[in-house]
Amino acid sequence: MIRITTSLRARLMLWLLAGATALGTILLIEAHISATRNAQRAYDAQLTAAALTMADAIRWAGDEPVVTVPAAALRILSGTAEARVYYGVFDQAGHRLTANLDLPIESGDDETLPAWRTVSHDGTRWRLHGRQLDLAGWSAHTSLTIWVGQTMGGRRALAARLFEPAVMRFVILILAAGGLGLVAIASTLAPVRRLRDRLAGRRADDFSALDARVPGEIAPLAATLDSLFTRQRAARDSLLRFTADASHQLKTPLAGLANASEAALESDDPAVWRAALARIHATAQHAGRLAGQLLHMARLSHDTTPGNESIELATLAEQITREHAERAALSDDTPHELSYINALTGSAYVTGTRWALQEALRNLIDNALVHTPTGTAVTVRLSERDAMLWLCVIDDGPGLASASPQALRAAFRRGENTEQPGSGLGLAIVSSIAEAHGGSFSLDERAAGGCQACLCLPRARP
Amino acid sequence: MRCLPCARLLLALCLAGTAGSAPAATPLHIAAALDRPAIAPVLAAFERAHPDIDIRYADLATRAVERRIHDTAPPPDVVISSAMPSQLAAANAGYAARLSGAVIDDWPARFKWRDSVFGFTFEPVVFAYRADLLPADIALGSHGALFRALTDQRSRFCGRVAIYDPARSAVGYALYQADAGHTARFWQLVSAFGQARAHQVPNTRTMLTGLSEGRFVLAYNLLGAYARRYAHGHPEIRVVAPTDYTLMLSRMVFVHRAAPHPDAARQFVTYLLSRQGQRVLMQQTQLAGPPRADTSADRSTPKRSANQRRIMPIALDAGLLAQVDPAQRRRDLAQWQARFAAPGQPGCGSADFTSGRAGPSR
Repeated sequence: MIRITTSLRARLMLWLLAGATALGTILLIEAHISATRNAQRAYDAQLTAAALTMADAIRWAGDEPVVTVPAAALRILSGTAEARVYYGVFDQAGHRLTANLDLPIESGDDETLPAWRTVSHDGTRWRLHGRQLDLAGWSAHTSLTIWVGQTMGGRRALAARLFEPAVMRFVILILAAGGLGLVAIASTLAPVRRLRDRLAGRRADDFSALDARVPGEIAPLAATLDSLFTRQRAARDSLLRFTADASHQLKTPLAGLANASEAALESDDPAVWRAALARIHATAQHAGRLAGQLLHMARLSHDTTPGNESIELATLAEQITREHAERAALSDDTPHELSYINALTGSAYVTGTRWALQEALRNLIDNALVHTPTGTAVTVRLSERDAMLWLCVIDDGPGLASASPQALRAAFRRGENTEQPGSGLGLAIVSSIAEAHGGSFSLDERAAGGCQACLCLPRARP
Repeated sequence: MRCLPCARLLLALCLAGTAGSAPAATPLHIAAALDRPAIAPVLAAFERAHPDIDIRYADLATRAVERRIHDTAPPPDVVISSAMPSQLAAANAGYAARLSGAVIDDWPARFKWRDSVFGFTFEPVVFAYRADLLPADIALGSHGALFRALTDQRSRFCGRVAIYDPARSAVGYALYQADAGHTARFWQLVSAFGQARAHQVPNTRTMLTGLSEGRFVLAYNLLGAYARRYAHGHPEIRVVAPTDYTLMLSRMVFVHRAAPHPDAARQFVTYLLSRQGQRVLMQQTQLAGPPRADTSADRSTPKRSANQRRIMPIALDAGLLAQVDPAQRRRDLAQWQARFAAPGQPGCGSADFTSGRAGPSR
């Protein structure tokens, strides 16, 4: 199931814009600080000039300092921003010689001059500058403090004017980041889109490897897709083979049925009829077993997850062996010698699906019975080795007759003695069951003659 | 207790009276150092345009206007004065409200400060003399000519010259400051006034009435608008705009920050500065508005008008504040008195001729 999470485009844009905004904000703050500082400097220079102009106009006349207020100083203070202006001249004791407004100027006791202050008066903020002027007459000398001030409107306006380009730059930065982000995303996602188009355009039965140019980051994805195709092709091939083989296998008994019935119909002899019926019966039985095995095979290949039933293997093996022994005893052939040996001490539990394990053992026993001459001894043996349970069916028959065990285990492959009934599905099913239970299946020729088919299963806690 | 019913009746009648009539007109208090007749057409036009506003016009001397700005409660809504420095000082001290709007933006920058105080007139400062009492060939067309006439023909002018008393008139003080700022030779003229035993009077009106009554033959630094208006009815009075330099003065108006009727006040000032108000000012009064073609940003260069007079506008900027410094003012007045009473050439010839002010001194 495909769940759609935040799109790559949104994610990329988010990171890009968040980064640009954070960076831009830092730049804006820096620009604001520097604009304010520069405006402050420019206007403070006006205050200095005005204070100096004031100082120049103060003369010592007779026995007292005479303060003349030069219009130029006030024009400098007010400036083009038409700020409100303040001036005040104080003597050493802090007494006011002159001032145009009653701003709160405390005589700075320990303050070093020149001094800069920002004060609030009547709801208006003022920037004040104070400096000291030493005057010496013929008979006395004194020092005066000159304060000049202006309202802050001009500074604010200048700071805003200086700050404006920074805001413009910020906006441009954000827009550029957004635009670049869109372009980058489009170009980054283009290979993904190409790959998607390539996949969408594929035929359903096309399992060939992808032919696409992809960037390094997407290459693993493409490789995974390729390997998926390969596995699908293998699965499909095996399915096709299975179907073809199954059809072929079913065709033979059906043809046999047709032949037998046809031969019987041409004769009036009841003995021939009986023989034909016996053949028909055997063939139908064979076909039924074949169909059952096919069904198991299909079930196994579809339902590969083993059950979690706890199974006591010894009981199971003994029961199946007894069933076969009874059935063999009923048949009119010379029976095989079928025996069961439990080499274990204690119980043997495995986790899995009961019917599957029963089927596997039945198959192995059937196999042994069918492919060995009558009278052969077939032994079902349960033992333990390397912490695994080994359930083996051992016979002392003619062996595998040069067929390789791997080939025999594949579906529909049969040994050389093809005159014997059988579908060739048995060992393939057993192998599947063993693997589904986390174990393995092996088929070997014994040194002493005959062969041994073993299920190796992991032991479970009871 | 017996009075209670009739008091109630009276109250009810009052309530009925107010409730029945149209909404009461908003009063608009204007404190102005500007003769009411000189501005009357503008006031009338404003009241026609705004019938809901009722102008209460107080016609005051410049010093009285100054006091009203900070001493009265409630303060006037609109303050008009020809004393430019004190108007600017009031704005600098935060008494003027900032105005805004298209009319305010449109107003020439040289005639406004902080968008709160506006010079709405542009008036020459003139001389006036009695043409019938002085010889026909006398030259009084410039400051230099005036000085020569005063020194050469002192006897004609002795005790019959009127000048502003800087101690009592803020506009007079401002004009002397402007004169002194223009040329240092002004102090010679002051001495010449002193030797001619000039009368120091508090306003232009006194100068004009004195001229028509024959007490004065010459008056110095009159407000041109009043002088021209007065001369219309008194043909014997000749008004002269000096050719060497003519001071140009602007009446300044602002809306008081604590105006009780701020909306009406803003409407009035906006009207005064609007094209409409300026047209009325130009066409129906002797006042004239400032030149609108505000091409030159330089406030201090003298302008040459069509007839080659040098006009010296008193710049409307923070430099005016220097003139209202109290210590400076004391020294200026002292200097003025010293120059005015300077001993030098003998006075009018007769020592017992009293010089001095026409009114009580401060």
